[in-house]
Amino acid sequence: MGLKKRTQREEQKREEKRAIKRDLDGLITQLQRGDRVQRRWAARDLAQYGEEAIDPLCSRLEKETDPAVQEAILSSLMEIKRPPIGERLIPLLRSDDAGLRNRVIEALQSMPELVESHVDELLGDPDPDMRIFAINIIQWVKHPDVPKWLLEVIKRDEHINVVGTALDALTDIATEDMKEDILRVKERFDDPYIHFVVDEIIKGLS
Amino acid sequence: MTLSDREFEKFREFFYRKTGIFFPDTKKKFVEKRLLARMKATGHESFRSYFNFVRFQRSGEELQELTNALTVNETYFFREKYQFESLVENVLDEVLEYKEDNEPIRIWSIPCASGEEPYSIAIYLLEYWPRIDEVDVEIIASDIDTNVLEKARKGIYNLRSVKNLPKHILRKYFKRLSGDRYEIIDDLKEAIDFRQLNLFDYRENKKYRYIDVIFCRNMLIYFDDESRLKAAQIFYDSLNPGGFIFLGHSESMSRICSLFKVRKFKQGIVYQKPL
Repeated sequence: MGLKKRTQREEQKREEKRAIKRDLDGLITQLQRGDRVQRRWAARDLAQYGEEAIDPLCSRLEKETDPAVQEAILSSLMEIKRPPIGERLIPLLRSDDAGLRNRVIEALQSMPELVESHVDELLGDPDPDMRIFAINIIQWVKHPDVPKWLLEVIKRDEHINVVGTALDALTDIATEDMKEDILRVKERFDDPYIHFVVDEIIKGLS
Repeated sequence: MTLSDREFEKFREFFYRKTGIFFPDTKKKFVEKRLLARMKATGHESFRSYFNFVRFQRSGEELQELTNALTVNETYFFREKYQFESLVENVLDEVLEYKEDNEPIRIWSIPCASGEEPYSIAIYLLEYWPRIDEVDVEIIASDIDTNVLEKARKGIYNLRSVKNLPKHILRKYFKRLSGDRYEIIDDLKEAIDFRQLNLFDYRENKKYRYIDVIFCRNMLIYFDDESRLKAAQIFYDSLNPGGFIFLGHSESMSRICSLFKVRKFKQGIVYQKPL
């Protein structure tokens, strides 16, 4: 007993034991019907198939309840990173599964190129909760237009919680040229919290 | 120019969110000096303008530059030794609870750089873990850089690298060479399995499975968000259920991936893959 190195034979034996066919069809079957460990590995391995894997991964994500498998699917989608992914993920922001919603938000934050074309649609959604999720996503997206998008929200959105969320997001990043638009929010909403955040932002600017 | 308290707070919250590294108030001067230097280098005259630049730059290059400036990557034997104490006092005994009889414990050190970390683990086990005589332990050490791996295999270090080692350990596990250099004894060199690995090589990383403990200290801070998450997922899959991962003292897995459980031991936090 003590410190030892694994021999090559031991390593091979272990590899042989788990050698199964892992082509596209085999992985899709495992993703659909395997146990949670098999589904997770299938999700991970499917990333190498790029565009072909988007539909099976997204379809599985729509019904997947295991957080570890959800994470693996999203991680593979982030690796594939093609436009249809944004369209497939956005509807999941309405999911009842809060964990999945948060994971989708984080995944979208890391794919600015896919989010960019959906910003208007997201910020124009009739559901204020969806607009709040949209702000949660864009405020951490690496994109030079983020301050501009948030400014549009505080100028136009009618819902106090949506505007409050956008103001929060602007606290750290507002610039001098936004001052007038920010102050105008106080005129639109006679609410102590909104007034407080506006004052904080203005204080930060000076 | 100085950084106001409010700007410091704003910055550290952002930096923590992006890298998992948290700077306490006592580090304000350290942060300020480096931040101001980066502002100057990138031509930004106000903190707010630089902050927006770092935060929304698409390439993320400046965040990387800043991370490099704010992290010191020095390696030496028994660095952050409280984590090795946690390994021998808490973690390994828990690992043994889920292992089958005679199954070896597998410890993975990544990135192992020039070998100080895996050798430190080996020495700690031999010196301070009473059950080392009852159990087999495999230590796998990997790095992407073949030059540092070669250095690790040779096991020759300068005085600075071994400065934290107690004298009796230095005598027991090293041979003294000329010019204040020290060479690891052959038994220890032969006990570590050094391997070249690009963590993101899909075929290669799959070979790292059934691991019980991972040491991945101060590597994730150099990755962008996406790579960091990907690395966390690779570690999750390589660990046995119930296995542990040690990160650098200022890094946080909770900021990267929600799949790991936070375990608080006397010596600090370790992350665990749920059983």
